[in-house]
Amino acid sequence: MSTSFYVGALELTTGAVLVCAVMTLWRRQVRTIVTMLRFQGVALAAVAGVLAWHEHDVGLAITAAPVLAVKGALVPWLLHRVIRLDPRSRETAPLINVPASLVSSAFLIVVSYVVCSKLTALAPSAASRLVPIGVATVLVGYFMLVTRRRSVSQIVGLLLVDNGIALVTFLLTAGVPLIVELGATLDVLLVVVVLQVLVVNAGARHGSFDLDEMRELHD
Amino acid sequence: MLSLLALAVPLLMGVIALVVPWRRWIGWGSAFSSAGVLGLGVALCVTTSSHGPVSALHGMLRADALSSFMVVVIGTVSLLATLQTPRVMSQEIAAGTTNPRLASYYVVLMQAFITCMLTAVLAANLGVLWVAIEATTIATTFLVSHHRTKKAIEASWKYVILCSVGIALAFLGTVLVYFAALHAGVGTPRTASLNWTSLMAIAPHLNHGVMRLAITLLVLGYGTKVGLAPTHSWLADAHSQAPAPVSALMSGVLLTVAFYALLRFKAIADAALGPAFPRALFIIVGLLSLVVAAVLLIAQRDYKRMLAYSSVEHMGLLALGAAAGSSLAIAAVLLHMLGHGLTKSTLFISSGEIAHAEGTTEIAKVTALLARRPVLGAIFGCALLALLGFPPFSLFISEFTMARAEVNVGLWWVVASSLVCLSVIFVAMTNHARHLLLGGESSTAVPLSARSVVVPLVTALVACAFVGVSAWPLLTLLHAAAHVVAP
Amino acid sequence: MTHFGPPLGYAIIASILQVALIVLGGPLLMGLMAKVRARAEGRVGAPIHQPLRDLRKLMGKEGLRAHHSSVVLAVAPLIVLGSTALAVAISPLVTTHPLLSASADLFVIVYLLLTGSVTMALAGLDTGTAFGGMGSSRAITVGALAEPALLVAVIALSIQARTSNLPAIVADTINHPVWTSTPTRILALVALVIVVIAETGRLPVDNPNTHLELTMIHEAMTLEYAGSDLGLVTLGAAMRLGLLFALVMNLFVPWGVATGRSIPWLLAAVVFLALKTSLLAVVVSLIEVHSAKLRLFRVPELLAGGFVLAVLAVITQLATR
Repeated sequence: MSTSFYVGALELTTGAVLVCAVMTLWRRQVRTIVTMLRFQGVALAAVAGVLAWHEHDVGLAITAAPVLAVKGALVPWLLHRVIRLDPRSRETAPLINVPASLVSSAFLIVVSYVVCSKLTALAPSAASRLVPIGVATVLVGYFMLVTRRRSVSQIVGLLLVDNGIALVTFLLTAGVPLIVELGATLDVLLVVVVLQVLVVNAGARHGSFDLDEMRELHD
Repeated sequence: MLSLLALAVPLLMGVIALVVPWRRWIGWGSAFSSAGVLGLGVALCVTTSSHGPVSALHGMLRADALSSFMVVVIGTVSLLATLQTPRVMSQEIAAGTTNPRLASYYVVLMQAFITCMLTAVLAANLGVLWVAIEATTIATTFLVSHHRTKKAIEASWKYVILCSVGIALAFLGTVLVYFAALHAGVGTPRTASLNWTSLMAIAPHLNHGVMRLAITLLVLGYGTKVGLAPTHSWLADAHSQAPAPVSALMSGVLLTVAFYALLRFKAIADAALGPAFPRALFIIVGLLSLVVAAVLLIAQRDYKRMLAYSSVEHMGLLALGAAAGSSLAIAAVLLHMLGHGLTKSTLFISSGEIAHAEGTTEIAKVTALLARRPVLGAIFGCALLALLGFPPFSLFISEFTMARAEVNVGLWWVVASSLVCLSVIFVAMTNHARHLLLGGESSTAVPLSARSVVVPLVTALVACAFVGVSAWPLLTLLHAAAHVVAP
Repeated sequence: MTHFGPPLGYAIIASILQVALIVLGGPLLMGLMAKVRARAEGRVGAPIHQPLRDLRKLMGKEGLRAHHSSVVLAVAPLIVLGSTALAVAISPLVTTHPLLSASADLFVIVYLLLTGSVTMALAGLDTGTAFGGMGSSRAITVGALAEPALLVAVIALSIQARTSNLPAIVADTINHPVWTSTPTRILALVALVIVVIAETGRLPVDNPNTHLELTMIHEAMTLEYAGSDLGLVTLGAAMRLGLLFALVMNLFVPWGVATGRSIPWLLAAVVFLALKTSLLAVVVSLIEVHSAKLRLFRVPELLAGGFVLAVLAVITQLATR
C-alpha cells in the first residue's frame, strides 16, 4: 500500500469518526443519532483495518473484527430496543440549543488540537498527527453527556467517549495488548447491555424512564 | 498457584449459585467461599514474605506483598458481608420485596464482584487491572438496583454512567503510559508491555510531558471509582440505595481496590517524574474530598448517606497519606485501608439492621437506639467511635501515623487543613449519632438481634481494636507491602 | 503573483468574457433549475431561456418608484449590479489570470458580494413597508450566519495553497494530485454547498417561488420594485447565483480553467464552466425538490452545522500537514 494512499485512507476514516460525532449533536431524531453511532463504529473498525494493513500487525487486524461486531452492529441494535420502548423519538429541548452546541463543538475541536501538540511531538507520524480528532470525539461525547436529557442521548454520549478513546488508542499505539483491547470492547458491550436492561426494567415497572423526572436523590 | 485458587473459589461459588436454585445453604456457601479467600490470602502473605513475589498463569497473575495484603483485606470484608446473605435474603423474601430468582442473582453477582476485585489486585498487567475494575462496575450495578425501586434505579443509573466515564478516562491514561513506554528509547519499540514490573524498570526513561498528562487522567479516572472529589456524586446515591451488605462491600473494599490501582500508577509516576507533580495532584484531590465531605455532612438527613460521605472523607485521607509518599506513610495508608474496611462494613451492616427494624433511613425519625435496641445501638456507636478515630481502634493509629509522615515530608499545612476538616466532620457526625442513639428510657422488653449479625460485627470491632493496640502480626507485612510502591 | 503571466490584453478579454458569460448564464441557470424541478414534478415546465425573456420584458417597462422612497431605492439595483459584475470580473471563472487577479483575494470577493446584500437590505427598508423591513432583517441574519462558514471553508482550502488569493488557490488545486486532503475537500464542499444554498435563497432556506409574503426572505426586499428596476434587481440576483456556483465548482473541480495565454483555450474553458455550473445547478435543484422549507428558527441550526463542518475541514487540513 503506497504511503499517500495509506495516509489518505487513514485521514478519511478518522475524519468520518469525528463527523459522525458532530452529526449526533446536530440531529434531533434519536433514531438518526443511533444510525450515526453505527457509522462511527464501522469507521472505527476501518481505522483499525487500515493501520493493521500498513503495519502488518496481525493482532490489530484481529481486534478490528470484534470492534466492528460490537460497535457497528450489537450496540446500535441494543439501543434500538431502548428506543422502541419510548414512543417519543426526538430529543426535545436539550439544555444547550443545537446551534450553540454545534459552535461549542467547533471550539472543543480547536481545543483538542491545541492540547495534543505534546503527544504528537513525541512520535511524529501520519497516525499520531490525527490524535486531536480522537480527543475531539471524546470532548464532544462529554458535551453530549452533560447537555442532553434523554437517557438514550446520555448512553450515546458515553459511547462517543469510548469510541474516541478507542480511536486515540489505535492511532497512538496501534492498539494495546490484544487481551486488553478485547476486554475493553467487551466491557463497552456489557455496559450498554446493563444500561438497556435498566431502562427496560424502569420502563416496565414505573411507566417511563426520563432523566428529567429522576430528581429524587439529592442533598 | 495460591493466587489461582484465590480466584477460583469465589468463581466456583458463583457458578454454583447460578445453576442451583436459591436455598439458604447457598447463602452460607458464599460466606464459606469468602472465608476461603481470607485463608488463601493469609497463605499468600506467608509465601510472599518468605519467597518473594510469586507468579501464576504464565505471568498474568502476580502476588507480591502489597497484593497479598489487599487479598487479606478483600477476604475480611467480604466475609463480614457474605455472612449476612442468608439472613438478609430470608428477611426480604419473607417481606415480599424480593423472590428466590433475584436472591440467587444477588449471590451470583456478589461472587462475580469479589472475583473481579481479586483479579484486579492480583493482575500483573495494568490493562487487565483496568478490565477487572470496569467489570466490578458492571457487576455491582444490578446489586445497587437490587430493590428495583425508582430511587434504586436512579442511583444505579448515575453510578454506571459516572463510573464508566471515569473508567474511560483511566483507560486513556493507561494508553498514554503505554505510549510513553513504547517510545521510552530503551530496547526496541513493540517490546514494551503494560506489566507493572517492566514499567517500573523503564520508568526513569518515560517522557515527562506524556506522563504528566497520563497521571492527571489516571487520578481523575480512577479517582472517580475511589470516590474522590470532584467526581464523587455517585457515591452517596449508590451506597445509600444498595442493600446493606452490598454497601458494606462497596464502601469497605471496592473504593480501596481502586485506590490500590492509583498506588501502583503513582509508583510509576514517582519514578518517572519525581515526587513533586504526583504529590501535588493527590493533595488537591485529597483536600477537596475532605472539604466536600465536611460541608455535606453537616446538614445530612439520611444516616446511610452520612456513612457514604464519611467514605469520601476517608478516601481523601488516604490520598493525603499517599501524597506524602514515604514508606511510613504508605504503611499507614494500608493499615487505614484495613481499619476503614472493618469499621465501615460494620456500620453499614448494622445500619441495614436498623433500617429493617425502624423502616426508615432518616436520622430525624430514628432515636433512642441505645435504649430500644441496646446491642445494635452499642455496636453502631462503637463502630462510629472507631470511624471517628478514637483509640484503641486502629484508625487512630493509622491517621496519626499518616499525619506524622506528612509532617516529616514538610506538608504541615496539609495536616493543619485536614485537621480542621476532621474536626468539622467529628462535630457533624457526633451530632447525628447523638440523635440516633441517645434519649428515651431503657425498657426491659427489648427485641433481640440475630446472632448472625451480632457475632461477626463484634468480632470485627474487637479485631480493629486489637490491631490498633498492637500492630503485630501485621507490622512486617505492612512494611513489606509499603516497600513495594515506596522504596 | 507571477511576473510572467499573460499580458494585460488577455486579462481584459478574459474578464469581459466572464462578465458576459455570467450575465447571460445566471438567468439560464435559474431557468435550468426551474426546468429540472418541473420535470421532477411531472410537468413540462417553462423553457430554459424564459428568465431571459422575462428580463427583456421587464427592462422595457417603466420603473415606478414609491412616493416616499429616497435615492437609496433608485441607486441600489445599480450598486448590486456593479459590485457583482466587479466580483465576476476578477474571479477565476474561465482563467486563472483575470483582470486585477492580484486583488482577487477571498475577503475582497466576499465583501463585494456583501456590499450587494447590504445595499439590497437598505433598499428594502427604504420604502417603510412592513414586509420590506421583515425581509431585510431576515436576509441580513441569514447572511451573518453564512459568512463565517463561507470564510472558514475557503480558508481550509487556502491552507494548502498558502494564500487566500482565489486564482492562486485554483491554480494550486490544478497542480496537485486529486486524492490529497480528500477529507478536507469533502467537508469544505458540503459546507460551501450549504452556504451557497443560503446565500442564493434556494430551498430549504428560502422558497424562490413563494407568493406568501410572510415566508419570504429575499423576495420580500424586492416587493416594492417594478419595471426596469425589478429587471436590474433580478439580473443582480441571477449573476450572484451564477458567480457563487461557478466559484464553488472551480474551487473543487478546477480542470478546464485556462491557465495559459491562448484564446482558443479560453473559449474551451467557457464551455467547461458552463458544463460544471449546469451540473451543480442540477444537483442543487434536486436537493430543492426533495426538501421542505425549514422554519426560520431552524435555519441557524443548518448554518451552524455548515460552520462546524468548515472548522472540521480546517482542523483536518492542519492535522495532516
